[in-house]
Amino acid sequence: MKLLAQILRYQLVTSMVVLFLGAGLFYVSVRYLIDREANKELFQSQVKVRWQLKHLETLPVYILQLGDSLQLEPVRYPGRSFIRETSMLNLAENEFQPYRQLVFYERALGQWYRVTISKMLLQRQHLMEAVVMTVTFIVTVMLISLLVLNSWLSKRLWKPFYKTLGKLDAYQIQQHETLTFEPQKTLEFDQLNQSVTHLTSRVTTAYQNLKEFTENASHEIQTPLAVILSKIEGLFQDESLTESQLVALSSVSEAANRLGRLNQALLLLTKIENRQFLAGTDPINLVPIINSKLRDLEDLIDQRELSIQTDLQPFGPVIHPALAEILVNNLLTNAIRHNVEKGKIIIILRERILSVRNTGKPLNANPEQLFERFRKESTLSASLGLGLALVKTICEVNGQNLKYDIDNEWHVLTVSW
Amino acid sequence: MKLLLIEDEKALATSIQNYFQRENFICEWAQDYESAIEKINIYKYDCVLVDIMLPDGDGLDAVRELKRKFPEIGIIIISAKNSLDDRIEGLNLGSDDYLTKPFHLSELNARVQAVIRRRNFQGNQQIRFGKIIVEPQEHFVSVDTQEIILTRKEYDLLIYLIANKNRVLTKESIAEHLWGDDADLMDNFDFIYTHIKNLRKKLMDKGCPDYLRSIYGVGYKFSEQ
Repeated sequence: MKLLAQILRYQLVTSMVVLFLGAGLFYVSVRYLIDREANKELFQSQVKVRWQLKHLETLPVYILQLGDSLQLEPVRYPGRSFIRETSMLNLAENEFQPYRQLVFYERALGQWYRVTISKMLLQRQHLMEAVVMTVTFIVTVMLISLLVLNSWLSKRLWKPFYKTLGKLDAYQIQQHETLTFEPQKTLEFDQLNQSVTHLTSRVTTAYQNLKEFTENASHEIQTPLAVILSKIEGLFQDESLTESQLVALSSVSEAANRLGRLNQALLLLTKIENRQFLAGTDPINLVPIINSKLRDLEDLIDQRELSIQTDLQPFGPVIHPALAEILVNNLLTNAIRHNVEKGKIIIILRERILSVRNTGKPLNANPEQLFERFRKESTLSASLGLGLALVKTICEVNGQNLKYDIDNEWHVLTVSW
Repeated sequence: MKLLLIEDEKALATSIQNYFQRENFICEWAQDYESAIEKINIYKYDCVLVDIMLPDGDGLDAVRELKRKFPEIGIIIISAKNSLDDRIEGLNLGSDDYLTKPFHLSELNARVQAVIRRRNFQGNQQIRFGKIIVEPQEHFVSVDTQEIILTRKEYDLLIYLIANKNRVLTKESIAEHLWGDDADLMDNFDFIYTHIKNLRKKLMDKGCPDYLRSIYGVGYKFSEQ
């Protein structure tokens, strides 16, 4: 829910409460005034009636105003005078209408009379109507003006906020940029922008440092490794070495080679995770990559007597070309490595999917675990155990889906985008 | 042949120097970019090996300046950085090759020879070893004027063996040369053995002596003795 909409909700609830309370108070106070006015008029009538009763034999009708009525009843004893409210049937309009009555006792010509003066309270009904109408009008006008104000505010006052939000959304750490903004009139937005600027500049610096550290660490490891390997190669040329020494040296060489490859692979993994390979905007056609990779792997395929079936349509995901190559390479080498002798590989490329199926031995582990780093199903020593982890990372970073299914003897790796 | 090695790591530089001295190359060493420029201005080199992570500046700048001043020199970049950008930039600047540390000296040797061959003779020079004659331009191999048809891998293997003649070559270095990054797919080195066997057979069928000697536990040696 938008902040403005939430504010509007509170505003509406509060103003409704205030309005209805105000309307109630207004009604009560105006009614009090009207009642007082009515009472006053009743007392004035009383004075007139008394005067007439004292000075005249009969009561003339003209002293009464229209709508008031006067009743005289002879009574034996006088009582206390009082004011009461009552409803009486108005025959003209055929409905009950409120009346205010003043009842008092007066003696005329030696006889006690109970005098009742009634006054119709028509104004009160009108008042009620007026109050309801006014309140409805105010509520409507307020609602409309609040809505209009809100949409105007969100367009105008909140504009810098949405601008900042848009910039943050589009922010990519790899581009090493610090977000900067124009100064804003609104203090809060200005503060927000300053914080964002500080944050992005700190993040960029931290990212840069990390990247440099990773690269440097790799450099620092590669160089001693290069020294080790070059010294070993020099030693191999020494003809005075015995056979057992050569075999030992060979193991050292193998291990050092492996360390080098491991370091490279981990560095690559880190770089992909750091999103240093940004995808372009156009999809990469995977067909030439797959075909050239199959040519490169010809030896291995022939040696294991694998048969390859391809069904390729010229499609592919939006991805950095280098990552596309690594993806294809690792999927294919995985399919070759974990195949059986004289097995099969089926590669299918469609508009939104690349699937590599290979025959293989049944799996001991949960297929998803094979995506973990250094997880090896077989104990083949040459395998680094990073192949599928790399594929997984590439897919995660680029928003593709990777799935591993086992269908009897078939192992199916599917990348979809 | 004269090489200049620009590399700040002394131990590695010494190894490389020793290796090329055995090849009867003169390999001079400059520890930093400044002394390298000095040397280049005085002597003539056939090929320069540049580590692009030098203490006194970006090696790519060095490559740029080298290329500008001496366009005829072959340049091979040696780098611990496998960064794709660096590799592409390095090759765009006109370096002839890019080698990532750690590398096999035999691989470096093969690449240096290829660069020098391309530079000096526009690639038309024959490679001779004993009875074998290779025309690199046409990928043509012959023994005693009889053509030998080799597969791509067998051809690459032969060139690599000749470039590193009289040396012990490890199986890993051969595997990496032939298959590059896929070398770690070789769960055993049977592939190399298959290619070696086929190559040896094709050569010997045309009356070529067996130059290839297997060194137990290590690899192979290609020599006339």
